[in-house]
This record gives sequence, structure tokens and C-alpha cells, in this order.
Amino acid sequence: MLEFDGLYKSYGANRVLEGVGFTVAPGSMFGFCGANGAGKTTTMRIALGLARADAGEVRWRGTALDAAARRRIGYMPEERGLYPKMRVGEQLTYFARLHGMDAAAAARAAETWAERLGLGARRKDAVEKLSLGNQQRVQLAAALVSRPEVLILDEPFSGLDPVGVDSLAEALLEQCRDGVPVVFSSHQLDLVERLCDSVGILARGRMVASGTVEELRRREAGRLLRVVVPEAPQGWAAVVPGVRVVSQQAGDTLLELAAGTDDQAVLAAALRTGRVTHFAWREPTLVELFREAVADPTPAATSAPVEEVAA
Amino acid sequence: MSEQKPLGSATLVRLVAGREISTRLRDKNFIISSIVIIVILIGVMAFQVVVGSGADEGRLGVVGDASELGPAIEAQGEAVGVDVTIVALDDEDAARQAVEDEDVDGALIDGTGDDPRLLVKERDSTMEAVVNGAVAGVAIASELADAGVDLTAVPEVAVTSLDEGEDDGQRVVVALIGVGVLYGLLILFGQFVAQGVVEEKSSRVVELLLATMRPWQLLAGKILGLGVLGLAQIVVIGVIGVTGALAFDVVDVPGDLISTVVSVVLWFVLGYAFYASVFAVAASLVSRQEDLGSVLTPTTLVLVAGFFVGLQAAGDPDSTLATVTSYVPGLSPLVMPVRQAAGEAAAWEVGLAVVLMLVAIALVVRLGGRVYAGALLRTSGKTKLREALRAERA
Repeated sequence: MLEFDGLYKSYGANRVLEGVGFTVAPGSMFGFCGANGAGKTTTMRIALGLARADAGEVRWRGTALDAAARRRIGYMPEERGLYPKMRVGEQLTYFARLHGMDAAAAARAAETWAERLGLGARRKDAVEKLSLGNQQRVQLAAALVSRPEVLILDEPFSGLDPVGVDSLAEALLEQCRDGVPVVFSSHQLDLVERLCDSVGILARGRMVASGTVEELRRREAGRLLRVVVPEAPQGWAAVVPGVRVVSQQAGDTLLELAAGTDDQAVLAAALRTGRVTHFAWREPTLVELFREAVADPTPAATSAPVEEVAA
Repeated sequence: MSEQKPLGSATLVRLVAGREISTRLRDKNFIISSIVIIVILIGVMAFQVVVGSGADEGRLGVVGDASELGPAIEAQGEAVGVDVTIVALDDEDAARQAVEDEDVDGALIDGTGDDPRLLVKERDSTMEAVVNGAVAGVAIASELADAGVDLTAVPEVAVTSLDEGEDDGQRVVVALIGVGVLYGLLILFGQFVAQGVVEEKSSRVVELLLATMRPWQLLAGKILGLGVLGLAQIVVIGVIGVTGALAFDVVDVPGDLISTVVSVVLWFVLGYAFYASVFAVAASLVSRQEDLGSVLTPTTLVLVAGFFVGLQAAGDPDSTLATVTSYVPGLSPLVMPVRQAAGEAAAWEVGLAVVLMLVAIALVVRLGGRVYAGALLRTSGKTKLREALRAERA
């Protein structure tokens, strides 16, 4: 298990993380979402030892990460970085060696990964001579070349074209199948939804939601019921107890049910109006969940900074 | 996974150093600058040879008895800087033949007689003066002896040199050239270190590097790697310089020359450790090559000042300025070698300067390491020194 446990971090008066914690099982992919400045990068940097947590720790297989364990992590920083004038092959070999491989194994691994990511012909070229897409591939290869036990990738999909996205996704899924826990942050929520076994949403330095996408959906209290009743009069559902009409447009009605309200009572009410062409719980997309989670959950959180300090 | 071993600091530092070396060895600018330095050095020596070509050699044929005249001619030649070799010739015909064949530069006939004649192919004022002086000297001596004058009564002039003497002078020139090379290499390699640090910051690769090592390991590897190259370069220059100087006969006393070159090389090591650390730390405060100049200028000015004090010290090695600055860390590598070469510095003085320099290096590395660690991941704009120190534990 890769465990992020109760991470706190502040830069001066700026509290960046306030108790971030989540767990990633080996062989599963964790999508890390959050608005800009929510603290995703800081969380990842703490795992890599690039920033020091004020409190809390990151554990891999039950022990806190130290320099040796961090060497088993493949990392892709948000700000891409490679030596621009160094050749692709040499660069990959160098990073493999920094992660503890001996010279021969590192050279072999560099060759293998360059080949697998379609960079075989460019091994002898300086990185700066490559197209942006190919530079991204080298960056990924640099993260994978040491056969890491854990992958932590900060915005790996940003700046990729659809083909690049697919091949990166494929590479990450393959790592997962090999039992590597993968953590990546992304703003492309459809991608997170598609790839990830579990998701964490970070807002203002706290995890506001985490779990599988399914769990998040189920947990979401404000689920909406969509009922399409073409012949119903305006406001037909308002009479049903525990139902709030979110919107109604020519019979296409969105309803929010209070806890304990029987959806079958709503169906019965709908049928009384005439034909029912659609009756289903509307699954919120991750985007909606994200908006919901990231929006200030309690008015207190924004209007009362005193409370934040107390937390 | 099975191929991975835990990495010690030494291994990491070596890996970083190895990358620095292999990258530089392939860098055209580095190769060109190295070649330029060596070409300049050889040029300087060739210039010395041309300028100092007064130390000529000459062959003079003498017909007849040369037992008295020979030593006189040699002595006379030495006085004007010509190394004259005496060749005994049988008669005038042989002398003519030898001059025609350019076997000798001139031939003296009847040197001790009444009608001394000098045969030359082309007129050569130096040779004429040497021969004239010698012939006249011998003639006067023999006439005085005939007249019963006791030549031993002529007082010999004792020479006291108020200057440092020829040997010291030569050593000072060598030390000056050495300090010039040292100054050039310190600037060059200091720049390399600084550019390397900024390159890692501006390309953001530093974040990937620091995920595998501590900042001090990166700093140490970089400084060591480039230092090995710098040392190799100054040693090559030293060897070429010494060999060339000996081959071209620019210097008389090889022992002094070598000891001066060795002291310059040792001072390079200290100077480099100091300036490379300062340059690296200064460079870590900025994120773009364009901003590098502004943070390096203060340190570069110290180097330039040291160089000029070193030049000044060559002319006046026991001046207060030279004496004081030869202890000041940072300036001492450029001043002390000159004072040492001039024979003005006692062993304890050199020792003190070295100790002060070592203390300064330790301080720079300690404090600078903190600044470097604090500033490395701040990849936007310029970091203030104080911020970097505070951010070190971030």
C-alpha cells in the first residue's frame, strides 16, 4: 500500500495542506483531482522528498519513505525537465543510474524504453531537437526506465494530443497490471474517470472526497432523478412530499429527493400525469462531483477564516 | 528491481561528476577554449624565444695558437651574450675554406701577432666586437706583463644586486604567467559551474535530480567533475609550459620553474574550490541564463581585483598591499604564488594563507550549500539570499 497520511504543510502564513490522506493499493490507479493551487503538487513533492511535510508522512509497504525507498519511485514533475543538450539515450541511462541501476542494466533499460515509446531512432539526438510530443515521451521514459515500484506523475496528460493520451494511458495501465500503484494528477476528469480505480478530490488543502468513482456517486447526497413526462403540467412534482424540483422544461424534469423519499412514489405521481418516457437516476459525471466537492461545502469555510485557522 | 542497489553519496557524486565531465568533453566551446589557451601559451613562449634571441651561438675559427686567445674570446662572448665555440684551424687557406663553407661564422688569423685579421662571409658587428675586445685584451695583458705590471693587483668588482636577482625575476615571470592562466581558468570554470546550475534550474531537470539525491550531492558532483577537468587543463598547460620553456631554453633553472608551477597548480585547487562554490551558490539564486551576469558580477570583480593585485605584487612583492592581500581568502590564490616565487613569503606565511583559504572554503560550502538547497526549487525569477536561507528546510 502507498499511504499518504495526514499531511500538513504551510509556507509561511499560507496553509497549503491541511491533513491530506489517501491510500493507493498496488496495481491500482489513483486520480488526483483538484483546482489549481489545491495542493496536489505539494502533496506529490512531499512524497518525493522535494518538500518537507510539517506533519504526517507517506508510507510505502508500511514504512515511511526514505531516500532509498524514494529511489524506487518513478516521478514526472509538473514542470517537465530534462537536460536539453543531452542525448536521449544517455539521459535515460543517467536517470536509470541515479535510481540505482548499474551501468550495463541502465543502458539496457534505456534502450528498451526508448524502443517501447517509439524513440528508438532518436536515441542519439539531443532532447532539445525533439518535438514537444517526443520530449514528453522521453520524460515518461525517464520516469519508467528504472522499473519503479511506485509511479507518481504530476499532470502527465497535459499537453498531449489524443494519440499521445492514448499511448500514455496504455503505458500506465500496463504498469498497473504489473502491480505498480500509480498516482497521477489531472484536470482531464473524463480521463480520470475512465482510467482510475479510485479518485481523490482535493480542495483548499483537504481531501473533500475520495474513493472509487462509483462510491463517490453513491455517496453524493444530492443525486438527481430525471423524469421525462411530456404531458405533465408545470410543477407536477412539487406536490410529492420530499421532492424539490430542480428544473422542468417541457416535461423534462430534474428532481432532488430528500433523504428517505421513495422514488417509487415519484414514479406513481409521474404516471398519474400521463406517459412517462424516461425515469432514471442521473449519474453525476465526475465533473459534477468535482464541482460539487470543490465548491465551498459550508459557507463557514469561506466566510469565516477564523474557523480555518482553528482547523 | 533486482538490478537496483542502494546508492551511497560517493556513488551519486561520482555519477554527477561523470556526467559533467562527459558533457564538457563533447562541448565545442570547451574544446575550443582549451585549444586557444594552449595556443596562446605556446605563442607567448615563441615570443620569448624571439625576443630573447640575444643569447646567440657562434663558431670562430682560430689559426695558430688559441690557448691564450680562446678563453679570452669565450669570456668576451659571454659578456655580450654570445656563446662562442673556438675551432682550431691549420692555416689561412683552411680558414678561408671554413668561412666559405659556413663551417664557422668567422676565422681569426694571426690573433696574437702584429697583423690580426678576421675573415667573415658577411660583416657581423657582434662577432667583430667580440674578437676585437679579446685581441685587444690579450695584447694589452701581454704588453703589461712585458712592462712588468702585476695584473693581480687589479681589484675585482664585487656585484650586489639590489633587484631580486635573475633567478627570482625569472620565477616571478613564471608565477605571473601562472597567475594569468589561473585567473583565466578560475573565471572559465566558475562560469561553467554557474551555467550548469542555471541550466538545471531553467530546464527544471533539477526537480527530477533532487528526487534522487540531496542538493549537496548534486553541488559536490558538479564542482568535483568540472574541477577535475580544470585541474587536468592547468596541469596540461603547466607541463606544456615547463617542457616548452626548457626546450626553448627560456629559463635557466628548471627546479625553480617546476616548484613555481606546482605552487600555482596547488593554488588553483584552493581557488577553484572557493570560487566554484561561490559561483554555484550565486547561480542557484536565478532561473535564467540572462540573469546570471548580475549575480556573478560581485564575485568576478573580486577575481579581477585579485588578478591586478597579483600583477602589482610581481613588481613590488614586499609591498603592504601584496603582503596583506596574500592572506585574504579569495585574493590569496592570485597573489601568494607571486610572492612565493619572488622569495618574499616565508613558509609560515604560505601556511597561514592556505589555512585561511581552507576555512573560507568550509564556510562557503556550508552556508552556500544551504542557500543552494533553498533556492534550487524556486524556479521562478530571482530568489533573495535571505529567502533561500530560510527556505532550506522547506
